[in-house]
Amino acid sequence: MSTELLNEISENLQRGKAKVVKQLVEQAVAEGIAPAVILNEGLLSGMNVIGEKFKTNEVYVPEVLVAARAMNMGVGVLKPLLAEEGVKAKGKVCIGTVQGDLHDIGKNLVKLMFEGKGLEVVDLGTDVSPDTFVQTAIEQNCQIIACSALLTTTMGVMEEVVKKAEAAGIRDKVRIMIGGAPVDDAYCQKIGADAYTPDAASAADKAVELCRELAGDVA
Amino acid sequence: MTNGRTVTVSVGGKEIPAGVGERLGALLSESGLLAGDSFAMPCGGHGRCGKCRVKVTGEVSPLTGRERAVLSEAEIAEGVRLACLTSVTGDCAVTPCEAGGQSQIRADGSLPPFTLHPTFSRVGAALDIGTTTLAARLYDPAGRLLAEVTELNPESAWGADVISRMEACLAGHAEQIAHTIRSAADEMLSRMAAEAGIGTREIDAMVITGNTVMLHLLSGDDVEPMTHAPFHANRLYGEFVKAGEIGLDALAPETPVYLPPCAAAFVGADISTALLASGICRSEKTAVLVDIGTNGEMMLWHRGTLHATSTAAGPAFEGAGISMGMGGRAGAVDRVKVREGELSAHVIGDAAPVGICGSGLVDAVACLLETEALDETGYLEDDPAMIADPVCLTQDDIRQVQLAKSAIHAGMRTLLSAAGVDCAEVEELYVAGGFGSYLDILNAVAIGLLPEELGDRVRILGNAALAGASMLLLAGDLRGECERRAREVEMVALASNPVFASEYMERMMF
Repeated sequence: MSTELLNEISENLQRGKAKVVKQLVEQAVAEGIAPAVILNEGLLSGMNVIGEKFKTNEVYVPEVLVAARAMNMGVGVLKPLLAEEGVKAKGKVCIGTVQGDLHDIGKNLVKLMFEGKGLEVVDLGTDVSPDTFVQTAIEQNCQIIACSALLTTTMGVMEEVVKKAEAAGIRDKVRIMIGGAPVDDAYCQKIGADAYTPDAASAADKAVELCRELAGDVA
Repeated sequence: MTNGRTVTVSVGGKEIPAGVGERLGALLSESGLLAGDSFAMPCGGHGRCGKCRVKVTGEVSPLTGRERAVLSEAEIAEGVRLACLTSVTGDCAVTPCEAGGQSQIRADGSLPPFTLHPTFSRVGAALDIGTTTLAARLYDPAGRLLAEVTELNPESAWGADVISRMEACLAGHAEQIAHTIRSAADEMLSRMAAEAGIGTREIDAMVITGNTVMLHLLSGDDVEPMTHAPFHANRLYGEFVKAGEIGLDALAPETPVYLPPCAAAFVGADISTALLASGICRSEKTAVLVDIGTNGEMMLWHRGTLHATSTAAGPAFEGAGISMGMGGRAGAVDRVKVREGELSAHVIGDAAPVGICGSGLVDAVACLLETEALDETGYLEDDPAMIADPVCLTQDDIRQVQLAKSAIHAGMRTLLSAAGVDCAEVEELYVAGGFGSYLDILNAVAIGLLPEELGDRVRILGNAALAGASMLLLAGDLRGECERRAREVEMVALASNPVFASEYMERMMF
């Protein structure tokens, strides 16, 4: 029975049925399914399907957004319960569009994909200075700084972020990810960032992987 | 196409025989009876340019959708038709449309009426520096068009969009870029002068319009502040310079060159001059003017206030970023229709298809939606979708179109919302720019490039930026109005605008 309900949550999430997802999550809680199970096997697994389909171009930005909206409705129900149980996020990321750049569609998409993978996200918005990225990572104990840029004229700020992070002495604890139309893997290596990913879904996979590596390093 | 029956067509009072089914356009061109009037078919009879307007009474084929798009309601009510799209079905009478009063321009139907006050005494030149295309005209003081040339913008060697060109400037190529565009302008002036049988030194005034970045690149002004937020422009023009100062060697160094005003870094002189040509500010009607290009610049005129914005549509409609995209050259699919459930494509120059241009792209996507090969989320049933062998569209191409059309559509709705105007309140939508001239309006609405509420009130302007520049050349008194509009326009910022963000998502769907 519980598998059926979880599948139903996942499928409605994929179709962006936010209200239905919320109701089903409440029902699952009432039926006594563990919040972490609802989160992982209902919500996150549904978001995972969307992420994979996004990678293969089967669905596009709008579908991801409605699915994410549905997920957030479900997560809203679970949040207090998860906190009670002491369920922790898989990692913490601060994300933003770099200074001088106001494009936020791509950045928002990556943020949603991060959340869809169970990561905690601090959204710094657009036009974010290198100092803000680094200070936030330090103050909020983020494992990852994720920088977005859509202009060839602003992508240079990413290098500044890497330099500031080095100067602050956090490069062993924090990974820097970059993305956006004008950047690529070669640029990532050139400026000494840790990872470039071509799309939002791959970015989320990579972030989870980096968080795992860091946890392994620490342990 | 005729069925043998002969009928009589009266052309300006003279009667000529015609076969039923014969197109008025071909009939009138061959008869030469309207040659001295405003009748012309520069687009080759494709119903694009609207220059073959005639008044028709009697038995002819019903009004086509294309004509509804090009003609105003008033014109339709008066019986105005596009000769190229109208077939004879019985006896009928044709009269030329008025070319306007004496001091009006006849050489180009797209100039609205205005009184001549030429800013020159011998020959005047107008140039529009588009990011992709350059277009220029020579006029005599009576407002007669002496020559017209177009050219691809050679600055594309430094990238297709303004951002990459500005980046090239920052990398130290500013002088080279300035030299390139100035040489191209000189060369166009020389070609036009030769065509008109004059020397370039006889040109004694010039107007050069273009977006803010284009004018900076021409003048050699520093573009750095425009490369990042808050996108400040060092210079907004609306001033005279001397030909010598901007390195136009074809002209005498003291020749005055007017650079029309820009409103902001991304709302340039090109939209200022297009605004003038559209004439929307001279009417009580609520109207929108949009130039669909890499940057979709748009303006709204509502109750005496002008609002403007610009949206980054990307170059999909210019053929860039689409796997088999190309400009509107020979071999480009420029029209697609559904015939008996199958796609049927028209190719420019009757050549074998090698790629697809902007208008073809809009048609193709509309057709794929119609045949349900494409669903409303933009998912392509079979990827790639064949349009005209070997030209096809991939799933990724469709995604690019979704981004581009949604940026334009959402930009327009955000502009309206910021001014508190409901979309249905807009009485006229003027579409300017090269791509716009070839756009099938019904398909543009079908794919959601333009709001569905406005599909029946679209007017195609053609190169309105150049038309407006020509007006400034021929009527110096219009400068004041042009500069005042650019100064007083209310700018609407789309970045971080919540209305835009939600519209952008919504309009991405089909």
